[in-house]
Amino acid sequence: MAKAYRLIFDENLCIGCQACNVACRLENDVPEGVYRLQVHVTTQGVFPHLGMHFERRSCVMCDEPPCVSVCPTGASFQSKDGLVHIHESQCITCKYCILACPYHARFINPLKNVVEKCTFCFDSRLSKALDPACVSVCTTEALRFGDVSQENSAVAMLSRKETLLFPKAHLGTKPKVCFIPARKGVKV
Amino acid sequence: MQGSLRALEPSILKGEDKWVRSVCEICSSRCAIEVRVVDQKPVWLQGNAFDTRMHSSICARGLSGVSQLYDQDRLRTPLMRVGQRGENRWREASWDEALAFVASSMQRLKQNYGAQSMLFSSKTGESFDLLSSFAANYGSPNTFSHWSSCPIAIESALEQTFGERAYRDFEHADYIVNFGHNLFEGLDIPLSKAMARFAANPSKKLIVLDPRFSIMAGKADEWYPIKAGQDLAFVLSLLHVWLRDAKYDHAFVRRYCIGLDALKASLKETTPQWQERYTGIDAKTIERLADEIYRAAPRCILDWGHKATTSPAEFQRTRAILIANVLMGNVEKKGGIYFAKTPEMLNALIQEPLFPLLQSPYPTPEVGIARIDGAGEEGSAYRFVPKKHGVLNAIADAILTQQPYAIKGWFLTRHNPLVTVADPQKMRTAMASLDLIVVNDIYMSDTAMMADVVLPEATYLERDESIHLHHGLVPSYTMRNRALTPLHRTRSLHEIVRSLADALGFSHAYSWKTMQELRAYQAKGNSALLESLVKRGYVQATIPHLFLREEASVRAFCERYAHVELRHVLEMFERRRKTPSGKIELFCAHIEKAFEGYGVPCAVDMDVQQNYPYTLISGKSAIHTNGHTQNVPYLHALMPDNPLWMHPSTAKAHGLRQNDTCYIENEIGKEKVKVFLTEGIRPDTLFLYMGFGRQTPLLPKIDRKGSSASKLLSLKTAPVCGAMITNTGVRIVRA
Amino acid sequence: MSPMWGSTAQYEVIHWSWAIAVYLFLAGISAGSIIVALLVKWNRHERSNSSIWDAMIKSGTLVAPVSILAGLFLLVADLGRPLSFYWLLIRFNPLSVMSLGVLFLLIYTPIVLVFTLLVFERTIVKYTWLLPLGSFIEWVKSLHSYAKTIEYFLMAAALCVGSYTGFLLSALYAIPLWNSPVLPIVFLTSSISSGIAVNILIGLVFFKSTINTESIKYLLVLDLRVIMTELPLLGIFFVGLFYGGGEVSSVAKAALSHGGLALVFWLGVIGIGLLLPLATVILALRSHVYRVRYILTNATAVLLGVLLLRYYIIYAGQIYLG
Ligand code: SF4
Ligand code: SF4
Ligand code: SF4
Repeated sequence: MAKAYRLIFDENLCIGCQACNVACRLENDVPEGVYRLQVHVTTQGVFPHLGMHFERRSCVMCDEPPCVSVCPTGASFQSKDGLVHIHESQCITCKYCILACPYHARFINPLKNVVEKCTFCFDSRLSKALDPACVSVCTTEALRFGDVSQENSAVAMLSRKETLLFPKAHLGTKPKVCFIPARKGVKV
Repeated sequence: MQGSLRALEPSILKGEDKWVRSVCEICSSRCAIEVRVVDQKPVWLQGNAFDTRMHSSICARGLSGVSQLYDQDRLRTPLMRVGQRGENRWREASWDEALAFVASSMQRLKQNYGAQSMLFSSKTGESFDLLSSFAANYGSPNTFSHWSSCPIAIESALEQTFGERAYRDFEHADYIVNFGHNLFEGLDIPLSKAMARFAANPSKKLIVLDPRFSIMAGKADEWYPIKAGQDLAFVLSLLHVWLRDAKYDHAFVRRYCIGLDALKASLKETTPQWQERYTGIDAKTIERLADEIYRAAPRCILDWGHKATTSPAEFQRTRAILIANVLMGNVEKKGGIYFAKTPEMLNALIQEPLFPLLQSPYPTPEVGIARIDGAGEEGSAYRFVPKKHGVLNAIADAILTQQPYAIKGWFLTRHNPLVTVADPQKMRTAMASLDLIVVNDIYMSDTAMMADVVLPEATYLERDESIHLHHGLVPSYTMRNRALTPLHRTRSLHEIVRSLADALGFSHAYSWKTMQELRAYQAKGNSALLESLVKRGYVQATIPHLFLREEASVRAFCERYAHVELRHVLEMFERRRKTPSGKIELFCAHIEKAFEGYGVPCAVDMDVQQNYPYTLISGKSAIHTNGHTQNVPYLHALMPDNPLWMHPSTAKAHGLRQNDTCYIENEIGKEKVKVFLTEGIRPDTLFLYMGFGRQTPLLPKIDRKGSSASKLLSLKTAPVCGAMITNTGVRIVRA
Repeated sequence: MSPMWGSTAQYEVIHWSWAIAVYLFLAGISAGSIIVALLVKWNRHERSNSSIWDAMIKSGTLVAPVSILAGLFLLVADLGRPLSFYWLLIRFNPLSVMSLGVLFLLIYTPIVLVFTLLVFERTIVKYTWLLPLGSFIEWVKSLHSYAKTIEYFLMAAALCVGSYTGFLLSALYAIPLWNSPVLPIVFLTSSISSGIAVNILIGLVFFKSTINTESIKYLLVLDLRVIMTELPLLGIFFVGLFYGGGEVSSVAKAALSHGGLALVFWLGVIGIGLLLPLATVILALRSHVYRVRYILTNATAVLLGVLLLRYYIIYAGQIYLG
């Protein structure tokens, strides 16, 4: 059975602590200076009417990934579980996919000189039925990961309960990463 | 090293793969962790799920333990000074030589000036307990923890009010008023997580008072940018409204407290209108909040925070907050505050030794000499400061004046007062005049730069340590287990102290030589406890939570332990408190006697701005721990400096723009800062994250990066508790 | 919040730099010059042997292979891993415009080369050192009978190459400035105009040819037509973006009003590339002064303008992401 993975980021719980950011580096040996994942925290509004916005920036694992469709060599590909990966050896680093990604999730690994991005920690964790590194360390458990086609999975239950927003949904990329928007604070 | 830890050893993913459960030490929250070790190399860290509150959560700093471990800039071998003190000329030495030098120098100081001429300092925790014991056996009363630069106002307010520590049940509260307790940046995973759940829950209410739009404020239902250091005025008016309207738990106060009349008398004038000019919060809001909060009681907490150093009135501020909790009658109620259920209490109650008792492996005999700061001495300004912890702010003057007696040496364990204590300029001068400074640390810190001998310490991942008992609703036990043997030529403080104790002739004080012996002694031979602590790192028995004034909770407890009588449990709360009156003290007669105006909360010493146009405040970030982690590669990459938060209108008034450089100054010092413009701060307030602006030429990555707020802080302390005050008036000067 | 999530430099990298802009320019010139050469050949050639028309055909047949080869070299050199470019040849992704482009180039480049050889066959046989290639040349000669078919194929391939560069960019909906259906038309039109310009330039400078007033006038009018097509096309392109709403229109506004890039557009693309030639043409036609100098100036200005257009689009697209 193909999986329907989903990663839910609850902006209400996230405190911008960057544990996920560092976990990703440690787990995936991401070189200094580049990031598969960052959580950007921004203050909006005018004193004293302020809101705080937490945005998780990484690959959102599109179901309709433009990065895959533009890749001329098939180095960027989609697995049968719908995950988007990169065959390092076939990547010629033409950078077309980096430009095609509406989420700016791809970058060049300066040590290997190939394109890199979040993999949902597939090789080291997901394929061994472990949660991705960022999800397992999240300080406040703001990240939930699992298979939505499984009725009783935490993500399926959360999806039924909450209104989920899919980033840049209008582009039709159908991301697997989505978020629960903040309920408190000023909306700007 | 290009961020590539595993690149160090390509074969690392093969071979032995195990998990070690231990305790984090990258900050003082000391969360339970587990470390994945492959071929003797830690490759991954996460929360230890045996502590169910942790799950696998861990923060960015905790994860960076591996990055710290392999940091190329770590101290690797003992160093001995060859040039002038602080001149930065060193030679490498063997451990034998370095320790022999330390021992003989300490011996010499003891002979010439008495053992009291040596000071010892460390952050609280295992190293402080060990160092205190070492100091006491050597014969010096002068031990210093970080308390006076951090939580001392809270500790002493709790002690004076309740006679013991109290804890907060965030999990079950419905309403929390937070006075700048920034749990989302000064992280403590179990607490931060509980707070995050609370804040995210739409049916709960979080009020945050903070001059800065902190992350905590960003999560609040209501945020009030209170003027820096004016929490006391807010709470006094809140109490005024309640007492005016007779809104308080009459039965509770009558039965368990003393001093209500004194409190009423003291709060006559502190009306909502009165507080407006101090806090900037309007009177109507106070009236509304007073009403809301009282209606939420007792499932409501006024959170006194973790670090309390905001104004000279810190003792009063914290007492006022505690008393507000008391008036709500939330003591020993679910969603309120509670006292520790100690192993002794619980074992006695259930008549079963479910919770093992420990004995201290660190004998600390009473030293019959007064401390340099007079802490704990009748008649001294610091008589209410615990002898063990002392007053850091008193050190510089005592050294410079050599009063009350000769002070010649200082032994510092991972303590960096040149960053974390007020007026480091003066401290530096004072240190320069000492005969002996010994520092053991992981990095060549600012303070280590001033040392005669620098002893390279093993990080927490490389250390086995003793058992720790943690109090709370249910006692828990943790133990640090090392994930690998120490890298380079580093050693643990235990090894250092043990060698020095031998050399100084008091090895008999310690019945242990190795960590195994120490642990066995401590556990009184309870091998089951030791075994499970080696395996799990965290041990807690599951018993029902017990809130002594919550009937449902007491009943549930008695159902579980059928032989326990309800009456017995309820009586536990009736016992005499460890205060002079035996009751919860709204009014402390003995404090009033020594410090007029401090026996009961009232409006005293509230000014922090001191006629300067701006107040400088400082705080923690989730990326760095005080002055400790700035060089850790992973963390340094996330936050290499600390620009000064400034409101755009303030910047405009001074013609400053984003990233401009300017100075802030007052009568204590002058510090260069880089401007960060943000709407998230009061126009009359400036903010710096702590721990930057270092002088560490041997750590070039962080040397003179960012700015230090400490350089502008005065050595004046808060009355009664001796706390350092970290809010101060400053002016802005253009570069 | 002062930033504490680490460097954001990776979001600001220009992944496709000047090399790609120049490649797009060269590919456009190649396609444009061959299209123009073929059109001239089909329509005008028969009249005179040493006319400007003949020179333009020669120029086109020479410029096209040289510029496409230079372009391909740049393209491969700009890959992060140039040595692995062979994956481009052994894999094909029908959804990828880049793959399509590779296909077009694989068809186009050999045909261009063959066409060039056909046109310059007599010149080539003069060089004795090329004799070892004798049998190859014989083979080329044998193709003469298929000349017309080859020309048709070449035309089709050149049209594909000329427009794919636009689709290469416009296919990316992540980049608002590129994601416009008008962009391929803009690119194709400007390719053709660069083809005309380069053919005139090379033709006049390198191939001795007579040129008469009639031809000059004809060429100037041709310029006028091309410019009058390009200007409104650029207009439609930006108007389309403005009405794209939200992010897209703010991106377009920023790209036209901020910093050095806006200057490149207004001064370079519009000023030098379009208005300057337009002014020259109008002046010449009004005053009936037909000078070769005008044509040369115009051709140079047009080429510069087309290059700057590629440069502007490549950079502005990556910088103004909304
Ligand atoms: S670890 Fe969790 S709380 Fe921290 S920044 Fe990442 S998502 Fe947010
Ligand atoms: S987010 Fe970007 S990299 Fe990830 S699948 Fe979508 S398009 Fe590809
Ligand atoms: S899933 Fe793995 S690779 Fe992706 S952001 Fe999280 S930690 Fe990084």
